Amino acid sequence: MKCVLVATEGAEVLFHWTDGEFEESLRLKFGQTENEGEKPPALEDQLSTLLAPVIISSVTMMEKLSDTYTCFSTENGNYLYVLHLFGECLFIAINGDRTEGEGDLRQKLCMLKYLFEVHFGLVTMDGQLIRKELRPPALEQREQVWGRFQSLLWTYSRLRDQEQCFAVEAVERLIHPQLCKLCIEALERHVIQAVNSSPGRAGEEALHAFLLVHSKLLAFYSSHGAGSLRPADLLALILLVQDLYPSESTAEDSDPQETDSLSPIEEYFTPAPSPGEQSSGSTIWLDGGTPPTDSLHIQMAEDTLQTLILPSPGPSGPRRIFLDASVKDNYCPMVPHTMYCLPLWPGISLVLLTKCPNTPLALALYQLLDGFSQLEKKLKEGQEAGSALRSHPIMADLRQRMDKFVKNRGGQELQRTWLEFKTKAFSKSEPGSSWDLLHVCRKVKRQLCVVYRFSFLTMTPGCGCPHLPQHLQDQVQTLMQEKLADWKDFLLVKSRRNVTMVSFLEDFPGLVHFIYVDRTTGRMVAPSLSSNERTSSELGRGPLATFVRTKVWSLIRLARRYLQKGYTTLLFREGDFCCSYFLWFENDMGHKLQIMEVPVLSDDSAPVGMLGGDYYRKLLRCYSKGHPAEAVGCHELLTLHLSVVPTDVLVQQAGELARRLGEASHVPLL
Amino acid sequence: MAASTSTESQLASWWNYFFLYDGSQVKGEGDPTRAGICYFYPPQTLLDQQELLCGQIAGLVHCVSDLSGSPPALVRLRKLKFAVKVDGDYLWVLGCAMELPDVSCKQLLHQLIGFFHFYNGPVSLAYESRPREDLRAEWDLLIEHILGNTGDLHKIFNCLWHLDRTKVEPLLLLKAALILQTCQRSPHVLAGCILHAGLIVSTQLPPSVTAKVLLHRVARGDQRKPTEETPQERGVAFPPNVQITPVFLTEEEAASLREFPREPPASTPASSARLQEPSAAPKENAPGHVGSKDQTSTTTPAPPSPDAAWADGSRENGHRSDPGLANTLPTALHCAAAGKGVGLFGGNGDLDLSEIHIPETQKTEASLSHPAADGRGPGCEESVHDPGSPGAKPPGSLPLGCLPASAPEAVPQNGALTQPADLPGDLEDPGRTSGPGRAPCLGLRQRRTQLPLEEQSEEQRGSGAPEGRLTLGPDSADPSDEGPSADRTVSRVSPASREGLVRMNLYTHSVKGLVLSLLAEEPLLGDRAAVEEVYHGSLASLNGLEVHLSETLPRDQAAPAARTYNFAHYDRVQNVLAANLSQVTTVQDRRFFQAVSLLHSDFARLPTLYEVTVRNASTAVYACCSPIHETYFQQLATAARSSGFPNPQDGAFSLPGRAKQKLLKHGVNLL
Repeated sequence: MKCVLVATEGAEVLFHWTDGEFEESLRLKFGQTENEGEKPPALEDQLSTLLAPVIISSVTMMEKLSDTYTCFSTENGNYLYVLHLFGECLFIAINGDRTEGEGDLRQKLCMLKYLFEVHFGLVTMDGQLIRKELRPPALEQREQVWGRFQSLLWTYSRLRDQEQCFAVEAVERLIHPQLCKLCIEALERHVIQAVNSSPGRAGEEALHAFLLVHSKLLAFYSSHGAGSLRPADLLALILLVQDLYPSESTAEDSDPQETDSLSPIEEYFTPAPSPGEQSSGSTIWLDGGTPPTDSLHIQMAEDTLQTLILPSPGPSGPRRIFLDASVKDNYCPMVPHTMYCLPLWPGISLVLLTKCPNTPLALALYQLLDGFSQLEKKLKEGQEAGSALRSHPIMADLRQRMDKFVKNRGGQELQRTWLEFKTKAFSKSEPGSSWDLLHVCRKVKRQLCVVYRFSFLTMTPGCGCPHLPQHLQDQVQTLMQEKLADWKDFLLVKSRRNVTMVSFLEDFPGLVHFIYVDRTTGRMVAPSLSSNERTSSELGRGPLATFVRTKVWSLIRLARRYLQKGYTTLLFREGDFCCSYFLWFENDMGHKLQIMEVPVLSDDSAPVGMLGGDYYRKLLRCYSKGHPAEAVGCHELLTLHLSVVPTDVLVQQAGELARRLGEASHVPLL
Repeated sequence: MAASTSTESQLASWWNYFFLYDGSQVKGEGDPTRAGICYFYPPQTLLDQQELLCGQIAGLVHCVSDLSGSPPALVRLRKLKFAVKVDGDYLWVLGCAMELPDVSCKQLLHQLIGFFHFYNGPVSLAYESRPREDLRAEWDLLIEHILGNTGDLHKIFNCLWHLDRTKVEPLLLLKAALILQTCQRSPHVLAGCILHAGLIVSTQLPPSVTAKVLLHRVARGDQRKPTEETPQERGVAFPPNVQITPVFLTEEEAASLREFPREPPASTPASSARLQEPSAAPKENAPGHVGSKDQTSTTTPAPPSPDAAWADGSRENGHRSDPGLANTLPTALHCAAAGKGVGLFGGNGDLDLSEIHIPETQKTEASLSHPAADGRGPGCEESVHDPGSPGAKPPGSLPLGCLPASAPEAVPQNGALTQPADLPGDLEDPGRTSGPGRAPCLGLRQRRTQLPLEEQSEEQRGSGAPEGRLTLGPDSADPSDEGPSADRTVSRVSPASREGLVRMNLYTHSVKGLVLSLLAEEPLLGDRAAVEEVYHGSLASLNGLEVHLSETLPRDQAAPAARTYNFAHYDRVQNVLAANLSQVTTVQDRRFFQAVSLLHSDFARLPTLYEVTVRNASTAVYACCSPIHETYFQQLATAARSSGFPNPQDGAFSLPGRAKQKLLKHGVNLL
């Protein structure tokens, strides 16, 4: 009984996702009220009819009380509603069967928002534009866009319930140092270097390449010029890959409805290099013609935006994604990248990330948008109109940069809007009111987003934008296949039995399970737990294994909840188990640093995690302020013991375990 | 109880809104929202704002109920949370600050609704029969009082205001308990509690009822004079400082009170004499029988329904014009006749008899249990409660218990009363005539009609009439228009019966700071002899207790010595909290409250969770819980800052041991 809805303030549905049970409950509701002969309204309309009062009330409360709904729970305890307002879009998650808590639902919403950002980049900054992206007027396209995100949400829900790495939101490595080394060498030489030295790469530059076995990371290599990839982004990429090529066992075991909602599933299971044929059209175009210049198309008026068609690259073709990066020492969020996902065998994939040639444009646009956002904020807050604003330092800087940008890049519409802004803001004769300024400031922002959208979204790798030629992709794929052919079966088994509890039992009697996370690098280590009935771990696959799993998941949930409220240590006994959670900071020498006062967050804040919010990055930044001289690392340990173990023994074991795992993680593998 | 009003504004920071909204007043498009606002706190809120909140929340509730098939119980905003309760057309909403746990917010609303129902009956009835202004004034007083007396820990647990029993001579607690026991022996009286300066000294009532009785003064303060006077005009003058107020209990509460083991009304020689005869036979097997019955019959569906019906029926009778009465008469006769053959009705009949006729046994039980309770010191009330909760007493016992005093034909009555449960077939016909689903009401109709039969005019004037008058709410002048308002009565009765409220009388007798509150069956109001008996039976002991309490208490209220730890020990069953917090809240205290709120919510949510230690940079709190207790402990000494890395030397992990050791002297045993 699950549902997610994204709607505008006017209750227009921008996205929805429902499971079979929820649809059924809606069908019953509408079946009763409608006449026999009539067809019940579309799902989207049913949802908007039912939830419109909530959405409208939420907007009214925001206007009148400057506060709005965040959560409802019903009297019988079955239903839980979580609402989150992102900009002008209201995200609603509903659970009707008690299987998810408030944290889970809020996390799902933040995750969805993050997925939107990964797919649409800075366009998400403008309410009107993102509305058009999420709800294309043509029904077919709309279904396609919604289908993609619905599938991603299904995959996310499945992974979060089954994989420890998604439960704690950290990347899990496949631990095999030898093989890892071998792979890194192969990635360096045969992938990154091979691509970047190829003459046919069409201006693309390979930045990162990594190998995945199911949802575990085998090896990761970044080119020298590339900045680092955020662990959150890496985890999101793993999600995308899992969505494109679901691991066989997990896909088969999941709900039948889940497969229904996926687009043609057979494609995923054919490891044959089908992408070649699918994207051949664009390849020809690439070879034959010259890509149209930006300025020509940027002149399009806003109205004509609707006629732009979102291209539909094949599911496994290269994909435009937006990830945080540092460009020329400047931190820049949502920089366009192209992701090539090359399946080697079912369950094993090679992922290549490239940067497109017009990355500097993205940086420039981000800086301008950021400037105007700050301005907008100032205008909204205060009475700083006219002269006060004109003399503001950020204003002068912004003006200069914007003038330059418009001169070089601007289309007519942008030029006109900018001129309008300048008249309102700087002309002495006709000082615009603060409200006027705000209005025109938003208009400029929108035009900048239009440019961004056109440059990076309309021309996606599948269609209109240069990308690596197919033969180069094939070459890389074949090479890696050759390198790993002997290891293939081993890898698939190893990924299910990555770390085994057996090796810890002797030294840690009474320990049932643990999860160790290095939050600085976003990596985690934990003994394997069987994720479903078919695969087994040391605990077997019976009720015991399931029981331990639920304990681990509830420990994760509780630890998160208490960390959100500022508690860095949690120790509790529940039933026959004793669970503990520790968070601490250490410097790069491994010296433990004094704990700090962790901020106490409200219940409606973004959940503790990496995806959607990146709590730990903020925490580290906060801690580093007090320790400017040293590199600070943040670590977490969750343990599950039998409750007969006395507290002091338990804590001692946890300390010993943390020390041992910490030392192991200091061995550089990547 | 500290002075209240001045602290209001400061405390109101956690209590943002409280309102009662009547959706039935705002049906059409043009109806203004304000028409539905029955009460809104804080009263100085702009009307627009009131309308906004009422309208939006009511709309939201409607929408969510539509989608989920269940109304929302909690609506959270970013800075505010609302506990919501749908009550027919009415909507109760309490808005609290975010730091108050969800579960406490819901509980507090539940309590507020309980208070209202207790003193005013069903909402619809109260708001139809009394002007909004009156009720508003009562609400204002009540809320002010709650705000003024609810400390930081109180609001988390919604616990009862309790005398610190460690500071009272245990003998005084025993004495209080004995006073209550003595009062219980009087006719009609079910159970009661003794308060001193607004704090509980001793109670026999279930916590939910005690909570309501605690606020009696506030709820029924000065504006209740009319009720007191009316009986006096009618010649039923109450002794000085005594008030009798009609109150409404929920079915469960009434059932639990009536299940209470009570001393039989043996004090009146007449009644005991009367009872002697019929009792002879069942007497022998009585004790054993009671025991077995206790174990086996607790789950019979019968007990609650006659109780509910009782209230129902009495109300109906009060208003019903001739046809209704005519109906009941034959039934009553029929039942009375049937009741003669007690033996026929097996278990129940026997049982009830045995209940009455084992005064010796019960007495010894009671007197035995008391020293024991006393020995445990603070656990005094526990012993009083315990018998009630585990082994539910047979349903029949209580109407019987209070009847004999006035009704000579105790046995047949008893038979008649218990009969509906046993032999519904016999009684169905009259029940149907008065409407479907009325069958259970019979028991009480019979009872009511029998009273006049037995002690004709005296009874009718004494008990029948006041009952009829009271059904309309104490202040209303309605009794006069009994006839013409037939249809109104029906509409009024239905919500009441739907909500399953049972009418009773609350007898309060205040001796300076000391208040004796007793819940009694309705006839008490008209039974002057019974009132006198209670009054004179308890007056001397109350005076004595008051003197002793006021002598001992002030001395103990001296500021406590410097604390080295904070603790809170919450009794989940009795809803009582023990803690060692001082008046001034320090930073460490606030950290303690924050941890307690979180942990309390999780204990409520996760039944298998029983021990938790949490730690942040500045404090560590240990908590443990059992099915009946929750205990929280915080060491106040500022510990050296640690790294958070698991280290057995860390002070946080020695908290459990320290708690066990330190709390022993507070009578809390965690071992």
